[in-house]
This record gives sequence, C-alpha cells and structure tokens, in this order.
Amino acid sequence: MWKVATQRVTILVVMLFIVSVVAFCLPLMSGGDPARTILLSRVSDLNLAPEAVEALRRELGLDRPLAAQYLAWLGSALQGDLGYSFATRQPVAAEIARALGVSITLALSALGVALLVALPLGTAAAMRPGGKVDGFTTLLIQTLVATPEYWFAPVSILVFAIWLGILPSAGWQNWQSVILPAMALMLRPMAYFTQVTRAAMRDVLEAPYITAARARGLSMNQAVVHHGVRNGSLPVVTFFALWFAGLLGGSVVIEVIFAIPGMGRLLYEAVVNRDVPMLQGGFVAIVGLSIVINTIADVLYVVINPAMRGSHGH
Amino acid sequence: MDTRMTAPRASLQDARSSRLADAYAFVASRHWTFKVGSALLVLVLAMVFFAPWLAPYDPGALNLISRLRPPSAEHWLGTDHLGRDVLSRLLVGGQFTVTISAITVVISLVLGTLIGVIAGRAGGLLDEVAMRVVDLLISVPDVVVAIFLIGIFGPSYFTLIFSLTLVGWTPYARLARALTKEVNSREYIRAAEVLGMKRSFVIFRHIIPNTIRPIAAVSFLRFGHKLITVGGLSYLGLGVQPPNPDWGLMLAEAQPYLERAPLLMIAPGAVIFLAALSVTWIGHGMEIERRGARVAGQ
Repeated sequence: MWKVATQRVTILVVMLFIVSVVAFCLPLMSGGDPARTILLSRVSDLNLAPEAVEALRRELGLDRPLAAQYLAWLGSALQGDLGYSFATRQPVAAEIARALGVSITLALSALGVALLVALPLGTAAAMRPGGKVDGFTTLLIQTLVATPEYWFAPVSILVFAIWLGILPSAGWQNWQSVILPAMALMLRPMAYFTQVTRAAMRDVLEAPYITAARARGLSMNQAVVHHGVRNGSLPVVTFFALWFAGLLGGSVVIEVIFAIPGMGRLLYEAVVNRDVPMLQGGFVAIVGLSIVINTIADVLYVVINPAMRGSHGH
Repeated sequence: MDTRMTAPRASLQDARSSRLADAYAFVASRHWTFKVGSALLVLVLAMVFFAPWLAPYDPGALNLISRLRPPSAEHWLGTDHLGRDVLSRLLVGGQFTVTISAITVVISLVLGTLIGVIAGRAGGLLDEVAMRVVDLLISVPDVVVAIFLIGIFGPSYFTLIFSLTLVGWTPYARLARALTKEVNSREYIRAAEVLGMKRSFVIFRHIIPNTIRPIAAVSFLRFGHKLITVGGLSYLGLGVQPPNPDWGLMLAEAQPYLERAPLLMIAPGAVIFLAALSVTWIGHGMEIERRGARVAGQ
C-alpha cells in the first residue's frame, strides 16, 4: 500500500519537474525577445530604444542563464507567484485561479449531467444485451463520439439563443450561460460514461453475488439496485476523474466559442498575445493539475477498493 | 525430451490455423456498422482526394456580388461571405484534417504499440515506469499540448503531428502492454524462449501479430477523435491559414453569419461528423467482431 503510494508520488514529482522545465524554457526559446514584446505592448512605437530594451531585460532577469532563470521562476512558482502577464499586467497566478474556478464549474456541470444520463442508460443497456435499449444506446454512443462539439455549439446557439431566444448565446454571467456550453461539452463524456457503465454492469450482473441475491429471493431489479449499482459505478468514478482532469484545459474551443473566461481560453489568448508568463503558468497549471488529479484518483481507487486489484488483474 | 519438443510445435500450428480461422470469420461475418462505416469512409476519402477534379468551381475564386447565397442550381450549397462556392471549398477542405489525423494515428500507433509490447515483455521497473507515465499522460488534453507548441513554434504540419503524437501514443501503449501480458504466458512464447529465439523475433513474430486486431479497432476509434481535434485546432486558426479552405476554418468563418446563412456552418460540421462517424463505426464493428470471435473461441 505505502509502496504503491510512494511510487506514484515519485513518478508524479519527476513528471511535474519535466513539465515545468518544458513549460518554462520552450516559450523563452521561441525566438522573439520577451523584453521587446513587453515594451511593444506598452508603447506602440516600433523604434524602441535599445537601452530601454536592455534595461527591461535586466529588470526581468532575462540576461541571466536559462537555468538560473528557471530556478528563480520555480522558487517563486512554488510560493504561488507566477509573475505578471505581459498583456494584462495582472499577476498570472490570480488570473489562473479565476479562470480555473470558471473551468471547474463548467467541467463539473457538464460531467454531472453526463453522469446522470449515462448511469441509468448504461445500466438499462446492460440488463438486456442485444435488446432494443442496448441497440439504441450503442447507436447513440457512436453518434455522440463522432459529433464535433464546435459544430453542436453553433447549432445550439442558433436554436436556443437566436431562434427561441431563451438562453444567452455567449458570456459567463449567470446560471443560464452555463447551459449551452455544458451541453456541448457533455456529449463525448456522456458517450464514454454510458459505455463504461454498460461494461461494468455486465461484469456485475454476471458476478456470483447477484446470483446469490437472486437465490435469496430478491427480484432482478432489487438485486441490481442493492448490490449492482455500487460495484458497477466504481470504474465510472475513475473515468469521471480522468475526464474532469481533461476538461480543465481541453474545453478550449467551447470556451472560445462562448467567450467564457476559463483555463482553455486563457491559454489560447496567451498564445495569441504572445504572453510568455501566462503561457508558462497556464500550461503548467493545466498539465500539472491533470497529472495530480489523475494520481489522486489512482491512489484513491486502490485505497477504496483493494479487492479490485485482484479481480481486475487480467 | 521428445514430448517437450513436440508439444510446443503442435501449439504453434494451432495458433496459426486458429488465426486463419479468425481471419475467415472476420471476413465472412462482418458487422453491419463495419460495412456502413467502410462505405462512408471510402466516400469521404474519394471526395477528399479527388476534390481537385470534382470541385465545380475554384475554391478560392471570390465573387463579392453573390455573397451568402442560399443553395441554387449553380451553387449546390450556396456561397460564403466572400462569394466562394461552398461545395468546392468543402470538397477541397478535407485534405489537411484527414492527412494530419491519419499521420498522427499511424505514428502514435507504431510508437505506442512498440512501447507497450516492450514494457509488457520486459516487465519489472521498465514496465512499471512506462505504465505510470501512460497513466499520467493519458488524461492530458492533446489540444492543450498542441496549442502550447503551436503558440511557440507556429502552425506547421510537423508541430501539429508532433504535439498530437506526444500524448496520442498512450492508449495504444496501454492496450498493447495488456495484450502482451496476456500472450506472454502462452506455450508457444515459452517454447520460443526455451529454443533461445531472439527477443526481437519473439516480439515481431509472436506478440505483435496477436496485438494487431484489437489495436486496429482502437486506432479507427482514435482516428475519429483525432479528426475532431484537428478540426478544432483549425477552427481556432491554429491549422490551415485563411485563404486555403479547411473544414474547421470554414466553421469558424461561418460563425458571424450564423443567422443569415446557417448552412454555411452546418455543412462543414456535417462533413467532419460523417468522416468521424465512418471510422468510429468501422472501429466499433471490429470491436464487436473481436469480442464475438473471443466468446466463440472460449
């Protein structure tokens, strides 16, 4: 148990280190002088005084060797300071915290609804494999998986915002503005959750304890509700964590379409604005968080259900 | 000694004939989604690669007088905001997305399978480390990696393919490793080891052939996913650069005219959807048949 935990944490730390080196160094090596970029964004004069550029470079520590710059950045990053955005001049960490709140809300709403649909649908499909519900579910899964969310989103804007006029077409003001983007984001996770639920429930329904419950006189539905659902939902929980981690930055296209100030759009705008500190911070935050969430989910899964290690070891 | 020598040989032949039987069953009883999916895929590929001859107009020809026209006899799918023929642009616009996705899938597949098989054969620390890396990378969104690298190195075929492959190999590695572990304990592998066969021989002759079919199924499913991802990047303006037509870019360009000309947005989205659906169905059909064959074989 402890061995597993230390092992995971070691690999986690090594990976985080690699990610942070990549996130810090690559944007600096991309050609283009950050000091020039900053000055250009502050004054619109293309003929920058070389002394001014040099002074700013020294002020930002850009004249030091890359390794020294990295260590300084890592030191302050560990204390929650990721520097200041070139574009907005706000602290990067504060902007990320704000964007993260938005993306978490969005991801949890999308995944929550996806789960509410997928659990009953997957269970129903598993009860009669090859039946009508199962066939319909399979077709639905294929369709949802193949639907580009950036196609679904404009269509839903057209229908619900422009024609019916009942939901906002963009922005992030109230609970109504969560609905359309969450709908677009939930398509694919819903499909996969349904698939996983169906597979897990098939395993459960063939398990001896269901037969035992039926032998004790419970109806099939009772047996499933009392014994099946809890066991069957375990793999789904892992999947939920995986998707949650993935959606924190992976919802970028939807965030751009709906003008939502989340993590994906933050990274996208950092690219568009050539905002180096924001790009470094945003990338580390998104990739780092998805790795950390994954490790936590992994360890929790083992902690909660050590028996699964035996029965799923094929 | 004699029995030792004959037993592995017999099982080697069994494996061969059962693989042949599997292949026959695969061809004879194709699942309907496989058939429909392949037909659809052939249609999409033909459309994409014969586009220069099929397109009724020059996809870049501007005609500012007839902007945003609805479908008509001359322009089957109408015209866009610069008066360009939507159908012609749709036909030509698939090349980038389909090519990038296909190359990404092939590289990820080869890389992932090799890593998975080697980890599965080697076992021990190498296996442990490789699989933990897969566990951690598998949930990192490839769009984020792509945006980060394109932001730094600019949009190019290489940057796109490289960034999508960087996390794209993980599902193949996980699957290939699991399949390898399954095969590892078979008698013919043990026989090859006892006979002192080279590691590479065992891997390429015995392990990889056993992993091909499940991995093929998964790669078709992943292909659909990649088509959507590449389309999304191009929607964000990180793929093909504007005058050239591309499905994702066409969707983005249609956004301001959503109300006036909905078809402008619906048409390219529908093509991405159909392309993704075709490979998803092929992959699904293969999965079903593999499971069916397994159940029958047990």
